[in-house]
Amino acid sequence: MSNYYNMPKLPTENSPKVEIFVDDKPVMVPGDTNLLEALKAVGIETPHVCYHPYLPVSGNCRQCLVEQEGPRGRMLVIACYTPVAPGMKIYTPASSARVKNARKATQEFMLVNHPLDCPICDKAGECTLQENYMEAGQNESRMRPEYGKNYHGNPAHQFIDAKGQLRGGKHVDLGPRVLLDEERCVQCDRCVRFMRSIAGSEQLQLAGRADHTYITTFPGEKLDHEYDLCVTDVCPVGAMTAKYFRFQKRVWLLSHTPTISMDDSLGANIWLDHADGRIYRVMPRCNPEVNRSWLSNTSRLAFQQFDKNRLPAMGFRVIQEVISETKSVGGKVALVAGGACTIEDLAALRMLKDSLGDSAELFGGTFKKVGAPDGIAMSGDPMANRMGFKLMGVPDDNLADLVKRAGEFKVLVTVNADLFGEDAAAASALEKIPSRIALSAFNDATAAKATLAFGIRHWSEIQGSMVNSLNILQKLNACPVCPDEKLRPAYEVLSELAGAKFGCASEAFRQAGAYAPALSGLTYDSIKSTGNLLEGGNA
Amino acid sequence: MRVIRQKPMTLGERLYIFEALRGLWTTLKHAARGLFRYETLPTISYPEGKPEVRNTYRAKHRLMLRPDGTPRCVACGMCAAACPAHCIFIEATASDDPRIEKRVMRFDIDHLTCVFCGLCVEACPVDALRMDTKEMVFEHRNRDDFVAHLYDLTNWDPKDYPDDEQSQVAPGGTKNAEALRVWGMEVK
Ligand code: SF4
Ligand code: SF4
Ligand code: SF4
Ligand code: SF4
Ligand code: FES
Repeated sequence: MSNYYNMPKLPTENSPKVEIFVDDKPVMVPGDTNLLEALKAVGIETPHVCYHPYLPVSGNCRQCLVEQEGPRGRMLVIACYTPVAPGMKIYTPASSARVKNARKATQEFMLVNHPLDCPICDKAGECTLQENYMEAGQNESRMRPEYGKNYHGNPAHQFIDAKGQLRGGKHVDLGPRVLLDEERCVQCDRCVRFMRSIAGSEQLQLAGRADHTYITTFPGEKLDHEYDLCVTDVCPVGAMTAKYFRFQKRVWLLSHTPTISMDDSLGANIWLDHADGRIYRVMPRCNPEVNRSWLSNTSRLAFQQFDKNRLPAMGFRVIQEVISETKSVGGKVALVAGGACTIEDLAALRMLKDSLGDSAELFGGTFKKVGAPDGIAMSGDPMANRMGFKLMGVPDDNLADLVKRAGEFKVLVTVNADLFGEDAAAASALEKIPSRIALSAFNDATAAKATLAFGIRHWSEIQGSMVNSLNILQKLNACPVCPDEKLRPAYEVLSELAGAKFGCASEAFRQAGAYAPALSGLTYDSIKSTGNLLEGGNA
Repeated sequence: MRVIRQKPMTLGERLYIFEALRGLWTTLKHAARGLFRYETLPTISYPEGKPEVRNTYRAKHRLMLRPDGTPRCVACGMCAAACPAHCIFIEATASDDPRIEKRVMRFDIDHLTCVFCGLCVEACPVDALRMDTKEMVFEHRNRDDFVAHLYDLTNWDPKDYPDDEQSQVAPGGTKNAEALRVWGMEVK
């Protein structure tokens, strides 16, 4: 590594408090962090561009300047790379005209050759540069219209526009998922640091120097990585744009639903950004303990399939009849839960098992391979709620047993478990079971093989909770994008089959407390947005 | 505070009948004028007569065109954001022209909902939207037809805007050839 940067140290609840003087007023701030975070902790926002809490500090943008009293008088220092020291004297724009001017000048410099693209820029509305301009800039333009913009970037992409201005590459294809607009780039090098330090694959580089600097890949190489869409998040401006979201929606028209990605047992915290009844994009939701600010492409792009190939809602009677018939005949029922089942679904499933008595047996698991954690935002385990299964006393890995003993059962009920889709060969033995009921959001292979396929809500459309691989209880929220209002959450259907219908997720969660002592002291509404770390799970 | 004292009515006024007759006479006078000296009336007998509309009147919208005939609109959605009636619907897509990034794919204005406030015109950063068509009559057979689509909005004739330089840049305008030359500048 040619450059070595330090990872910022973020304040925690246990940070020692030290006294520093901000604008000559004493304040208590966390003592083990940098000035920028410390000031933020006491409610003073410092405009910044290159600093990112989960990327190594590079300190190149100089937007975060503050004044510090030192042995040689008051000096301008960057807040993002200055560690907090007890008794230090800091001056912010609130008292120091010098800081104000310095920030304003930095801002002005940054905008000198920045294009007037906000109307067509996908970042507009959540752009750091726009925010900083309102916070620290607001300069009169000193541009001379007769000269116009004079952007120097990658010489290969330069052109003279109709007004005679020197312009840069506007849609540079960096790879399969990301487009770069060179003119909008402020050379903060966050994307470079992300690929280097987080993704661990140095695919982006800053080339050239001074105001000729531009972002590029190595010659002949492409930006192609499981986490490459994260560069569009870390990019403070609209330089890195995701192809899938390009021009799809202005960001201020999107509503955000905080939820959990149920395709991996780390349970990455996500925002589902939706409008007009459909999801437009998925953004990582910062959770320091879980996925920080990162999200894999797999989890991020999965939403494109959420509304495709859905099972329709069906009459509830039919399924009830099958169950009651089995009860009267006395055949055995196999209840199989898939990894995307929430705690609530499991509670309802256990209730159903209890109501069926000894004739029913619980199964759970996946035929998919369990991978290794990648250390970023994936644990590699497709059983998203595996810890929840353990907690709820639902088997999480006994599908082999089910396959072996398939002949014993009369009825197979699969909930969110696409057994045939995961491994058709292994699951083929299950076809011996005469009556197969699939509760699934999608018309998948299992639904196709089922004698009765019953459409339920997808995890993006339900309230619920899950326990991730770090034993953190996390809350799912319902995004209002359900294609059919008649579709119901799995826990509702299952609990109604069991004879005691849950009206809402919190009711189901209360019931879950009866099965899992670790949850009994909690209520659904008390689950924090960043999750609750559970003690004493079965794990 | 200002107190307005009314003049007390005279006996003639208080008798009512004379005043009523005077009112009837005025009505009769105007009716006769309408029948025999029609031209002197200050009103316009719409729809035979058309009022003179100035181009500052906020009439039906139009979308300005580039020299090559594509809409100037970059689908930024500022007009839709400004619209108090929420009657503008825009969908964007990437442009094929390397000089243009974003272009408009769908641009609908529902003129049944529109309150003709002109805020959308003010909001447009590229002067793509105007309300100077002088078209103030909207007559259609069903509700859907009141929604102006991209085609309606861009389908105007530069000859109807002889004094407007920007309109002459569009195909068919007097300045089109010149503008096209600049517009067609070679770009990498
Ligand atoms: S990055 Fe985009 S939104 Fe931000 S200032 Fe530049 S053009 Fe505007
Ligand atoms: S592309 Fe974005 S993240 Fe990368 S250096 Fe430029 S502004 Fe920073
Ligand atoms: S004139 Fe007013 S109401 Fe009509 S489209 Fe424009 S902004 Fe909306
Ligand atoms: S404000 Fe102008 S450029 Fe933007 S979408 Fe509306 S008409 Fe198009
Ligand atoms: S944020 Fe401190 S120098 Fe960029």
